[in-house]
Amino acid sequence: MIEVKNLVKRYGDHVAVDDLSFAVEKGQILGFLGPNGAGKSTTMNIITGYISATDGTVTINGLDIFEEPEEVKRMIGYLPEFPPLYPEMTVTEYLNFVADLKKVEKKKKAKMVKEIMESTKVTEMQNRLIKHLSKGYKQRVGLAQAIMGYPEVIILDEPTVGLDPKQIIEMRDLIRELSKNHTVILSSHIMQEVSAVCDTILIIDKGRRVLQDTPENLSVHFSSGSLKLVVRGDSNTVIRELKKIDKLTRLEETESHEEGTVSLTLYFNENDDIREDVFYSMSAIKTPILEMQAVRMSLEDIFIKVTQDEGLSDKNKNGDNTGKEEVLTDAGNL
Amino acid sequence: MLAIYKKELRSYFTSMIGYVFMSLFLSIVSFYFYLHNLSQRVANFEYTVSNVSFIFVLLVPLLTMRIIAEENRQKTDQLLLTSPVTATDIVLGKFFAVFSILAMIIAVISTYPLIMTRYGKVPFASAYASIIGFLLLGGAYLAMGLFLSSLTDSQVIAGVITFIVFFLTLILEVIARRISTSNKTAYIAFVILWLVVCLVLWIMMRNLTVAFGTGIAGVVALTGIYMAKPVLFDGALIKVASWLSAMARFSNFYRGILDLSDIIYYISLIFVFLFLTIQAIKKKRWS
Repeated sequence: MIEVKNLVKRYGDHVAVDDLSFAVEKGQILGFLGPNGAGKSTTMNIITGYISATDGTVTINGLDIFEEPEEVKRMIGYLPEFPPLYPEMTVTEYLNFVADLKKVEKKKKAKMVKEIMESTKVTEMQNRLIKHLSKGYKQRVGLAQAIMGYPEVIILDEPTVGLDPKQIIEMRDLIRELSKNHTVILSSHIMQEVSAVCDTILIIDKGRRVLQDTPENLSVHFSSGSLKLVVRGDSNTVIRELKKIDKLTRLEETESHEEGTVSLTLYFNENDDIREDVFYSMSAIKTPILEMQAVRMSLEDIFIKVTQDEGLSDKNKNGDNTGKEEVLTDAGNL
Repeated sequence: MLAIYKKELRSYFTSMIGYVFMSLFLSIVSFYFYLHNLSQRVANFEYTVSNVSFIFVLLVPLLTMRIIAEENRQKTDQLLLTSPVTATDIVLGKFFAVFSILAMIIAVISTYPLIMTRYGKVPFASAYASIIGFLLLGGAYLAMGLFLSSLTDSQVIAGVITFIVFFLTLILEVIARRISTSNKTAYIAFVILWLVVCLVLWIMMRNLTVAFGTGIAGVVALTGIYMAKPVLFDGALIKVASWLSAMARFSNFYRGILDLSDIIYYISLIFVFLFLTIQAIKKKRWS
């Protein structure tokens, strides 16, 4: 559906987007995640045809945005970082203008404007001037604008910025609702948001793709290398027995909440899995395991880890590029 | 295009600007009409028109200063440029909107000669020739204002620059006439003018090498011509100045002469500036 290939954007010496490639399937929600200044908005501005790319291609349904801009723009609804609103217009006037701009048929216009106002919950504000609306309502009118004409692709740049928690949840529901009939790309620097609504997460940093996967896979693959264990038994025997496991690097006893039980945190190498070893070693001394849980990194942790690795490899870059390559191939293997 | 035309036209009448522009314009023209026709008992409406033509310099910046600069500031250009409309649609829609406002005013003004029929015979031909010229002159200023507004995202800066440029067009011919006709002055003036063009180029493109390169190339070319054939520069300043000065051309109209070359001159002026505006908008994509 959407295909971005080897996208590069340079501003003088500054590289905003560096050889970025990804694809989004129909009906998917892709979350664009990265620290501020990672190139999220720039990439979105290129996909929507607002700015040009230095190199690379963007195709939507096989049509190139640089070659057939009008055709492609017809398929895209875009909510930029700052909602493009005219403060002197009322909500209805504004949405009618957008409908004209997007070439909505005259017959369908009134109905569509009404429908969209209802689904974005701005109906009660329809006769107010946009300049008098609160930030939350402005954002919703901006979203209404992006949906106008029901384009196949909807691109939202930080859609929940400036909203209160209740509005954020409403916005998420709305985005999920939208994904039934539309392909959605949204960007954010907030983890929970992306993991809550997106099918796929694309992490970018300094304009480069760091990794792309589903939220679930990301946290599975990024096990933090630690295990929480609760067993019934004597702590000295248990610890002695556990220390026999080669792969174990460190062991920590934590406060136990139940009488006669031992709570432990086991640390091991990230690439190993010691769950079975733990099971057999405990069964050997007939100590029942009450709880065993692999501690997964939250998306925040993954994000910080991944972007930091990237930073480190950048420092190593003087002379060799291998550091960066490693991170990228790692991401590829996921 | 129609969507932008309608939105733009409406925006002038939902804010004060449209009403302020129209009422100021009509009051000033009416006052001059009283001064040059009614109180003098003169039937030639072209006298009013020729004396009041400076009005565009005063009032057009009011109408055009926000027209594109404000879109840039509010970031609504992002909406326009990511919608299925071309830069040409945007510029033409906006131009025709402001031109319609001007046309409405001119429609009112064209009833003024009719008022005078109560008092005697009125030379309609020259009166309406001057009114047509007035409309074209206004169109040229609107196109220039549109272009200057597209260069910045602050309507105040756009307004000031527009006013300065318009003022120059007003006094260009007078200045040129006052200064010497020697070829050396012309040469120096052209060099300075070329450097100003390059400065504008730099502001638009933010590319030092291109602006600098064009500057040097132009100066070298001018110097070469000056060295080889200084005669070419004799009186050239006046010729160029009066060609550039939109006002100077206007003198034919108020003499009641509807010359085709003058009409074409104004229409091509409008075309050139609309074309430049479209380029300025397209260029933003490539910066």
